Amino acid sequence: MSTFTIIPIVFVIGLVGAVMAYRRSRALVGKDGVKMHSRPTYHASFVACWGIIPALLTLAVWLIVSPIVISTNVSGNFPEGVLAQSQLTEGLAYGIVESIGTGLRVLPDDERATITDTTPVADVTALLRNRGIPTASAATDWMVPLALQLNSLQFWSRWAMTLVVFVVAVAGTFWSYRQIAPRLRARNNVERIVNGALIAASSIAIMTTVGIVFSMLFETIDFFSRISPAEFFFGTVWEPRFSNVGSSGNAGSFGFIPLLAGTLYIGAVAMLIAVPIGLFAAIYMAEYADNRTRSIVKPLLEVLAGIPTIVYGFFALITVGPFLRDLSAQISGLVSGNYVSFIEAQSVLTAGLVMAIMLIPFVSSLSDDIITSVPTSLRDGSLGLGATRSETIKRVILPAALPGIVSAVLLTASRAIGETMIVVLAAGVAANLTLNPFEPMTTITVKIVAQLTGDLEFNTPQTLVAFALGMTLFVITLCLNVYALYIVRKYKEQYE
Amino acid sequence: MSDATANGIADTAAGRKPRRDIGIKKRYAAERRFKAYGIIAIAIGLGFLVMLMWSIFSKGYTAFWQTEIQVPITFSEQVIGTAEQANDSQTKLLMANYPQLARDGLIQLLGISADDKKAVSAANGLISSGTRVTLRDIVMNDLSVIGTTENVWLYASSELDSALKGQYDLNVPENRRPISDLQLEYIDKLEQQGAIEQRFNWGLFTSGASSRAETAGVGVAIIGSLYMMLIVLVLALPIGVAASIYLEEFAPKNKFTDLIEVNINNLAAVPSIVFGLLGLAVFINWFGLPRSAALVGGLVLTLMTLPTIIIATRAALRAVPPSIRAAALGLGASKNQTVFHHVLPLAMPGILTGTIIGLAQALGETAPLLLIGMVAFVADYPSTPLDPSTALPVQIYMWANEAERAFVERTSGAIIILLGFLAIMNVSAILLRRRFERRW
Amino acid sequence: MMENIQATLHKGPAVEASRPIKMTSKDVIVHYGAKQALNGITLDIPERQVTALIGPSGCGKSTYLRCLNRMNDTIDSAKVAGKILLDGEDVYDPDIDVVELRARVGMVFQKPNPFPKSIYENVSYGPKIHGLAHSKQEMDEIVHTSLRKAGLWREVHDRLDEPGTGLSGGQQQRLCIARAIAVSPEVILMDEPCSALDPIATATVEELIDELRENYTIVIVTHSMQQAARVSQLTAMFHLGDLAEVGPTEKMFSNPDDKRTQDYITGRFG
Repeated sequence: MSTFTIIPIVFVIGLVGAVMAYRRSRALVGKDGVKMHSRPTYHASFVACWGIIPALLTLAVWLIVSPIVISTNVSGNFPEGVLAQSQLTEGLAYGIVESIGTGLRVLPDDERATITDTTPVADVTALLRNRGIPTASAATDWMVPLALQLNSLQFWSRWAMTLVVFVVAVAGTFWSYRQIAPRLRARNNVERIVNGALIAASSIAIMTTVGIVFSMLFETIDFFSRISPAEFFFGTVWEPRFSNVGSSGNAGSFGFIPLLAGTLYIGAVAMLIAVPIGLFAAIYMAEYADNRTRSIVKPLLEVLAGIPTIVYGFFALITVGPFLRDLSAQISGLVSGNYVSFIEAQSVLTAGLVMAIMLIPFVSSLSDDIITSVPTSLRDGSLGLGATRSETIKRVILPAALPGIVSAVLLTASRAIGETMIVVLAAGVAANLTLNPFEPMTTITVKIVAQLTGDLEFNTPQTLVAFALGMTLFVITLCLNVYALYIVRKYKEQYE
Repeated sequence: MSDATANGIADTAAGRKPRRDIGIKKRYAAERRFKAYGIIAIAIGLGFLVMLMWSIFSKGYTAFWQTEIQVPITFSEQVIGTAEQANDSQTKLLMANYPQLARDGLIQLLGISADDKKAVSAANGLISSGTRVTLRDIVMNDLSVIGTTENVWLYASSELDSALKGQYDLNVPENRRPISDLQLEYIDKLEQQGAIEQRFNWGLFTSGASSRAETAGVGVAIIGSLYMMLIVLVLALPIGVAASIYLEEFAPKNKFTDLIEVNINNLAAVPSIVFGLLGLAVFINWFGLPRSAALVGGLVLTLMTLPTIIIATRAALRAVPPSIRAAALGLGASKNQTVFHHVLPLAMPGILTGTIIGLAQALGETAPLLLIGMVAFVADYPSTPLDPSTALPVQIYMWANEAERAFVERTSGAIIILLGFLAIMNVSAILLRRRFERRW
Repeated sequence: MMENIQATLHKGPAVEASRPIKMTSKDVIVHYGAKQALNGITLDIPERQVTALIGPSGCGKSTYLRCLNRMNDTIDSAKVAGKILLDGEDVYDPDIDVVELRARVGMVFQKPNPFPKSIYENVSYGPKIHGLAHSKQEMDEIVHTSLRKAGLWREVHDRLDEPGTGLSGGQQQRLCIARAIAVSPEVILMDEPCSALDPIATATVEELIDELRENYTIVIVTHSMQQAARVSQLTAMFHLGDLAEVGPTEKMFSNPDDKRTQDYITGRFG
């Protein structure tokens, strides 16, 4: 039975238990002289919790553990020759076994019955091809029995899981139903469960971070076992070759430097434009604008923040890039008489400029918050001495708000580094190492997308490198974020 | 400069003791400059907004109209077979040469000879090759049309559509534009007959992906996005609210809750593409969920939206005054009852506002969806969240990579639709806040 | 209570009736949005004297004080009508410059609000923006004199580079006074300058106010009648946005004309 049928059935069991518990509880109240500790709804919830929660936990554990157990079992039966080789070969072989197994499940029953442990792999692939299921050419004879074993293990695991989950659900319901008595502190029990659920919900945030770190960590380690970290971090040539996938030949160069340079360059251009504009806009809104202007301008600027980044990317691709290219042609025409554009449509400048537009509202709303949280008493103190508004801002408010503004800038930088859609469409894919902002450069995020879109085998350096890139990106932004959050926290405490 | 100040005052208030010189004029000039910087900064920001909107809308509004040609179609039995044959087997019906019907109708309409190869191919270039599906659907729906003649509105080809919308310069030499002089002549003829019209483009909202601009639409992508929004709503709202309640109402101040706080704030700032990698490694590779499925997209977007919802919900809970809690506790309600009966309902408008804003963010998110394989050519509506599907912003990304002129218009049109959804969501969040805003 | 206050009065010198008038206000009316906070105040402030504004909270005395150097301009909803003259010039005249005005009429606030900078920078801030010092020596001179005048020199002369926020409450407030003095204003406005201080710090600040009277015109808002009696020569009693009574401090506390004043200083309300 599939997971999606098991879950509703578990719920039905729990709810039936709840209804019965409600009735029993009501019946107990009917007897005279009995004072119930909890109200019937709590008894019902108590039984429902016991029916549903343990069963679902069992299901979750089974779903996570069983694939690991099965794969260890199956790959334990690999021929000695394969086991002796690298993890990579073993992983590839397991992938092929898995795909044969999946293919076999799709075959009609009569055809599947003809396949035994001794069927040569050629016959199997022929059968599969008839049904339109492609298999890897590297499949060999010893894989057939293993594929059959894999299938039967999966089949029995599923049945056992269905059975166990239902038994747990019914047992939980039955046991808790038996507990119902006037003295049962059902409310307290239910509240304890609710509190547990609340804690579980809030730890999802931690689990997400752990998930991010571990999902990328394993793949990254895998990648570094094939390409040395020194080659990755200090290499200046980015040229992963897709043609050699699976073979042990040269996998190409994975130099990280051009990507990092492009990321930082484009980010710097964007920040150079966005930070002054955003900061001055925030200062004007916080210190000069009257309420009416504020109530109109602030939401309008926030519209910029609400526009999806793909829209900015399209804007860069269709409008800004061609505009800059044509503009540069005009300029060079006026200067030298030769109408050649010196800005390419996809360039550092295009991507930086459009990214800056996206970042302006981000800088301005963060700085606005920071500036308005500078206490009025400081403002009054300066104005009371006869300082002008701008003197007050420059000499009192900005210095006081400096830590906050620094953290706003760091958060903005983290955004710029992690931005994807704008650079995918506007920066180009060529991993150049150049100082000319009019030429295309590429970024970490662009390459993550490029390496992971398309149909690729998972266990190759070409795809694994995306995780190494992602890990690097995560670490950089994590440092920026945590440091920025730390500064802003200290800053807020100072004025509370 | 300072002399002028002193003189000015001496003129107006003669006889008073002279003022100290504190450089007023210069300082006010600095003041004005500083203020001007602020105004310029805001003007630049708003200018960018106007340029962006103008660029999208001027390119995209035409996508909502599509040129169609009304052609008399004779559903001839020679081409599609008789109704009896169709009842026996649909093969002939499915494989029939429908474009021929359209071509014959057009030849008749324009009054050209069927033997004039050049004229026929010019005429044929006026209608979309998506005609096959349109005509087949008519026949499959109602077999009784076989053998009759009906006037049918057919999509014009994307070249004709673009030409009529003024997207091509028709003054350049014939060989440098996709519409020939002969075709222009035919268009004039059709216009005189009233057989060519710009009609509202419902197909943009209902069709799926297509390699031909005129039959491509965002209908399938909208359904995919809708599935994902439902998943985000169903998962992120309860989890986010539960987490916020714990952190705001129950959590003791200790290292663990501190860690959760830092985590949530950091997750709100982690690049979205990293969530895509998480989705790929955990949901697809480990749990074995299918690629390109709305379920996986929904799960990834849920994790991304959670911090937004938690931050908004906590602010809403904090805004409920402690006196409410004291009152409930004073009546003998348990802590849980206090929170769930009193605090939570009072905070609900704020929570919903935050949720809608989080959903709007999720709706526009593209990068993580690319990594979990939602960049797929999906022409059919997904019937469950496990079927391959795509999303509105991903559809925009794919169209943005198409070279054809007509796709620029489509892409802008799709962006207008996306912005429309976002506008509706944000406006409803604002209205919700206005309607239920409570001052304590 | 009465005896107590009258006993303190002996410390202060008698008002010299012939003092010239430094500031004067005619029919000053202030609105905060729709709410009227002052209902026409007419008051003369004598030069080089301490004028105390007293009255129950919400009576408008702080509002009035903030009108004198147009600090109310910083509140969007505040509207001021009537005339306030400084040496015969209307401070609300459009030709009058608010920056120049505040350089002449300085202000010390209720809560000490030193800038988060060093002590030296706090004091030198005003002279720097107004360009009052032309060299480092001059600036040092101004800072040192101001700190001396504010009675803070002895305590901080060896740590001028430390942040002003690190001082104690009373020191912070004297720093704020030094900061105001450094601009060499003609008038100093003080808005309940001691309300956030302990009694010992209060006594120091009050002594300082008494000394400053030699050179500056001082207007002080205070909650404490003892303080008004101790430091001021002229007292103005505000009540619900009206000026109930004004007169020499000695007379106000011994023989008030107005029933409300009498009730207030004897503690019947307030």
